[in-house]
Amino acid sequence: MSRLLVVDDEANIRLLYAEELKDEGYEVVTAATSAEAIEKLQGAAFDLAVLDIKLKNESGIELLQKLVKERHDMPVILCSAFSCYKDDFSAWLADGYVVKSSDLSDLKQEIARVLAKKTAKIVK
Amino acid sequence: MDLECCWSREVIEQADCPNIQAGEEDLLVAKQQRNLEKCVDCSRFHHSLQHLYTDSNPLAPILSGFLEEFRRQKSQIRSLISFLDNKTLEIRFLHELGYVLQSSVDLDEVLSVALTAITAGKGFGMNRAFLLLCDREEGLLKGYLALGPRDLEEAGHVWNEIARNDMDLQDMAQNFRLNKLSSERAKFHVILEKLTISLDDKEHILIKTLEGKRPVKVEQAFHHPNVPPELAALLGVDTFLLMPLISRNRWVGMIIADNFITHRAITDEDMHSLETFGFPVAFAIERASLYDKLQVELSRVTEAGKKLKEQQELIVRMENMALVGRITSSIAHSVRNPLMIIGGFARSILKNSPESDPKRTFIESIVVETRQLEGVLDEILNYSDSLYPTRDFWDVNQLVGTVLRDTGDTLGSLGYVTSFDRGHDLRPAYIDFKQLSYCLRSVLLNDITASGDERTIDITVANGDDSVILVIEDRSRRITQAQLDHYLIPFSETRDLGTGLALVLCKTMLEKQEVPFSAIADEQAGICYTIKLPTRKEEQS
Repeated sequence: MSRLLVVDDEANIRLLYAEELKDEGYEVVTAATSAEAIEKLQGAAFDLAVLDIKLKNESGIELLQKLVKERHDMPVILCSAFSCYKDDFSAWLADGYVVKSSDLSDLKQEIARVLAKKTAKIVK
Repeated sequence: MDLECCWSREVIEQADCPNIQAGEEDLLVAKQQRNLEKCVDCSRFHHSLQHLYTDSNPLAPILSGFLEEFRRQKSQIRSLISFLDNKTLEIRFLHELGYVLQSSVDLDEVLSVALTAITAGKGFGMNRAFLLLCDREEGLLKGYLALGPRDLEEAGHVWNEIARNDMDLQDMAQNFRLNKLSSERAKFHVILEKLTISLDDKEHILIKTLEGKRPVKVEQAFHHPNVPPELAALLGVDTFLLMPLISRNRWVGMIIADNFITHRAITDEDMHSLETFGFPVAFAIERASLYDKLQVELSRVTEAGKKLKEQQELIVRMENMALVGRITSSIAHSVRNPLMIIGGFARSILKNSPESDPKRTFIESIVVETRQLEGVLDEILNYSDSLYPTRDFWDVNQLVGTVLRDTGDTLGSLGYVTSFDRGHDLRPAYIDFKQLSYCLRSVLLNDITASGDERTIDITVANGDDSVILVIEDRSRRITQAQLDHYLIPFSETRDLGTGLALVLCKTMLEKQEVPFSAIADEQAGICYTIKLPTRKEEQS
């Protein structure tokens, strides 16, 4: 079972992601802030992280940069209310980008794609 | 006393006086004037005066003394008049020269006038003149222009031509500038090239002359201890004049003048006249050089002003963009997250509720309506994006390729087949890549229902006049032109947000970028979209 870390400052969104992704067969751990995310990452293995770009008083992009540096083996998908970040070069560090929607199909597809890619890489 | 002459008569006849010439008839009736102008030099008058001596008249020696003094003063007056005439000519020449020099700010014109004045017979009448200018940046005194004949034959030819045409100084200078400047420069090219001296070479006679600020006449140049032999050999004359050009204590340059052909001696008077002439020339040269520099600086300032204006406009636009960005960001966060939560949980509940649940219809409505609102939000955000295009040069083949990759799965699932005829040797187009991608996606995935059996979309890209022409032929969506036009009217009464505003947005974005866009509908053949993308920046306002 793949283990996912979901970081979003909205409690209801964390709940929605957790419910929907559990239904898809993933183990989901959530965090509301960067600090909480880093704390949960310490000493634990995660297969993928889903980050919101706009966290309260901090930037998900900064957390992304930190994760790329310290946990380069863990792919990251950015999830945002803004489509414009897709063109921001700093977001290119992420393995995937999804615009937030009530229909989580895009997010689920992206998670599956990125995890498949990671697995293929390991097999190679 | 028997007088044999007419000097004592009040009125005389022409035949009475051998000294009165034609045109001097007024003297026939003006006795006193006649006596002063003619009689004092007349032998008959002297003969009559001699009679006074013979008669031992005591007035005779007194009259002789008066006469002698009168003649001396008369001669002195004549030389003074001649001197004054010469000075008048010189002043007139300097006045004309000053006028021409002061009325021009063109360096070549000023130099033409200066060299013409030195070499013209009506001017200082020297045979040759070389002009050297100070290049302060390079720290050199450099040969710039020269004027004069190469040999006696050429001199004769030039002087005859000047005599024939009877031109004044300004005409001669104008003639030189228009017809001879380049040829004289070429003629003296070798000498001018070699007349290059470092301004730091304080021992060189030219630099010493500049420091002295006074003209120097060099004689016996070939044996002169202070004249470098190569300079004497270069000029080929034994005597020449060095005239420093100084303006407000600043070194402007130097004129070297000589009488290479006639070998006429250079007098102190020549030096004095040239010294008087040197100041306005130096001033005019410096002024013309400063004017040239001013023009360069002016064009730089104009260019900088233009750029500044562009930057100011850009700043205003960026401020507007920032404002729009903040508003849209606020909308995105405040509206999208709640919508996502409502719609997301509704979907979740729907997924887990049995088909028989009577409340399932209500939840389905929530899902549909939230999806609809998310569509509206997407379109509003896209519309605000479209207000401020960010253009650059892009490869249109790359643009179409990217969009076809992005939309391939969706189009494939809808049964569409696309073909792309890539443009060859395509010029880059000046566009907002992101917006054009959106437009192309909108054209490919618009909400117009397909009605024909043929579900093909052909895309062609080719170079046009100052443009790249992108043609999209959609053979599946078959509607009338009136129906299509209706799709292109923003917020028309029969159109709802979130149900296909994409084509309207596409049109707005292209209009904003001043990109010509046409959409022609045919009920039998489908819709043909033509987008003419500019390849030149200037075409954008």
